[in-house]
Amino acid sequence: MGSIPPGGAWKLLSGVRAGQTQVDHPQLDDVAYWSHPIDIHFATKGLQGWPKLHVQVWHQDAFGRSELYGYGFCHVPSSPGFHLLECVTWRPLGSWQEELSQLFVGGGPQLLNSDLIYTGADRYRLQTQAMGVVHLQLGVLLRNFDRYGVAC
Amino acid sequence: MAEPGWNADTGEAVYRSRDPMCNMRFRVHIQRVTSTSLLLQQLQQPSSWQDKELISLATLNTTASRHHSYDEEEEAVIGWQEKLFSQFEVDLYQNKSACQSPLDQQYHQEILNLEKAGGRRNRRIFTYTDHDRFTNLEEHCQKVTTSVQEVPSYLVERMANVRRRRQDRRPMERSALKSHMVTWEVSQELIKNNHILNTPVQTMYILADLGPYGKLGCQEHEHVLCTIKVDSNGVITVKPDLTGTNGAYRIELDGEKRELWKYTLENASAQAQQEEEERERRMFKDLYSRHKEHLGSLVGSDFEMAPPGALRLLVNGEIVSAKGYEYNNLYMRFFLELPSRWSSPVFQQLSGVTQTCTAKALDRDSVAYFSYPFTLEAFFTQEDGLEGSHILTAPTWRPVELGTVSELRRFFIGGSLELEDITYVRVPGTFQGSRLSRFGFRTEMTGSVTFRFHCLQQSKAFLESSSLRKRMQNVLDRFGGFSQQNSLYNVLEAFQRARRRMQEARESLPQDLISTSASSVLQP
Repeated sequence: MGSIPPGGAWKLLSGVRAGQTQVDHPQLDDVAYWSHPIDIHFATKGLQGWPKLHVQVWHQDAFGRSELYGYGFCHVPSSPGFHLLECVTWRPLGSWQEELSQLFVGGGPQLLNSDLIYTGADRYRLQTQAMGVVHLQLGVLLRNFDRYGVAC
Repeated sequence: MAEPGWNADTGEAVYRSRDPMCNMRFRVHIQRVTSTSLLLQQLQQPSSWQDKELISLATLNTTASRHHSYDEEEEAVIGWQEKLFSQFEVDLYQNKSACQSPLDQQYHQEILNLEKAGGRRNRRIFTYTDHDRFTNLEEHCQKVTTSVQEVPSYLVERMANVRRRRQDRRPMERSALKSHMVTWEVSQELIKNNHILNTPVQTMYILADLGPYGKLGCQEHEHVLCTIKVDSNGVITVKPDLTGTNGAYRIELDGEKRELWKYTLENASAQAQQEEEERERRMFKDLYSRHKEHLGSLVGSDFEMAPPGALRLLVNGEIVSAKGYEYNNLYMRFFLELPSRWSSPVFQQLSGVTQTCTAKALDRDSVAYFSYPFTLEAFFTQEDGLEGSHILTAPTWRPVELGTVSELRRFFIGGSLELEDITYVRVPGTFQGSRLSRFGFRTEMTGSVTFRFHCLQQSKAFLESSSLRKRMQNVLDRFGGFSQQNSLYNVLEAFQRARRRMQEARESLPQDLISTSASSVLQP
């Protein structure tokens, strides 16, 4: 599941800002392939609030329950061209009792407010565990930036 | 013996049109070539025969040309999907008992109406439309190589059986995505349609019944003159192609007599008037420009500019990961140090703390993921080459004390030396002088940290240089001469310099003397 929250000067012209992929079951390797398209058109009046991509990786088990597997974050690249991004993910850790029960039964703590993912202010309160990596391929096209003296 | 100009090319031709298909018309002209007319055609070639014989044969020509009976020649103008009945079909559908499907009933009705109205106007030429069950078997059994043992493969047979009917598959709405994405019970028809390339086309066949006069209505004498396929994107495939200036096509019948028929195909569709086409083109252009204006108006044309004379550096970055550290449960504290001539806006946060992360094992190393975002905005004078996306991996060190006691303490209890002043990492803030000495300072390598930066630079200086470059390119393209390049460039350069001087002078004046309506945004 991913979304792109832009700052105040940014306006979404076309495309959807949030989306959800299908559930993929890796057969060979430990790689889940989604091939989920991202197609977005923004217009902006200023450079602040450059769009960021935030992803949440969830696990769906055999009983149909969804369990959080990671939060991840990356900025959308600001230079035009084709980019291969690797967005690393982490998930919050609970106490050792919660960890033990998570091992057997599943289900762990989640963030109350997902804003924590894309601001850095309150991160130090978190205890997390490194999880996997989400791979993205983004092609970025910039138009009229040189008219306002922006080199990117 | 020279052959008359037959057209031996029966390949298909592809046309494109966005106009509605109901306006399409074809004119088909079919004529039997009798032996005398064939001979005459050959004799009319320039030859070295004597004049006397030519004259006598010429008289033969005029009598023969009056001999055209209507069964030997026919012409028809056929619209798209217009149904013309053959004799065989008329005989078949006249019996009400032979009609099974609703289409048959409809044909039966039409034939009766035609008979009442005085018979049909076509004799030999007829058509099969999209609704008929006819498929041209010849088309699918044709050979493509010169191999004698060529046999149609499995794929060819499957393609021949696929009925390329138009499917009314509406594009799915986003809300309807929740249901029916997967079909669990699959029918044979669905397999055939989905496994084989099947773009929906509408087909029409123009055929002729070439039986002897009076004996029309046998299916063996039916020959396909032309196959027309139209798909939903306005691509028209005509096989064989329209005869233009090439000769007519020929059909040679089997049998004793080996008759020869020739036919031509022409496009008889009404052409659009010049004014209508103009109007249509103008309307499209209008529509597109209005859409562009609408998009432009949504955005507006103002943009936040950097203060004059300064360079604004914007860095969107993230602390990605930390790798190769001995112990687990890592967090990072970082400071952004601005060198002397840099400044940053008031709201800018220059330090941060990440979350604590438990590392995981990855390729013999343990790695902790932070995914910590930060943005840096700073102002300065120009520095080149910074823009773009960069990934930086920085190795780190920690200070160590001489002796084993501190290491043992660190191993069992924990706790090690820390720097009092973190700016010591680079150049201490309190340092003044020319040589920094770190003699006696011991460190040990620990892991490495990975950062990712996306840098943007904004400055008014870029504006002028890039637009100058662009305008230079335009001017050069227009003139195209190398000798003029230098002089033009010099002139423009001088102009730019003068303009810049004027702007600087203007900026130094007090505000109330300058008119507020003057804008300095350059037009491309």
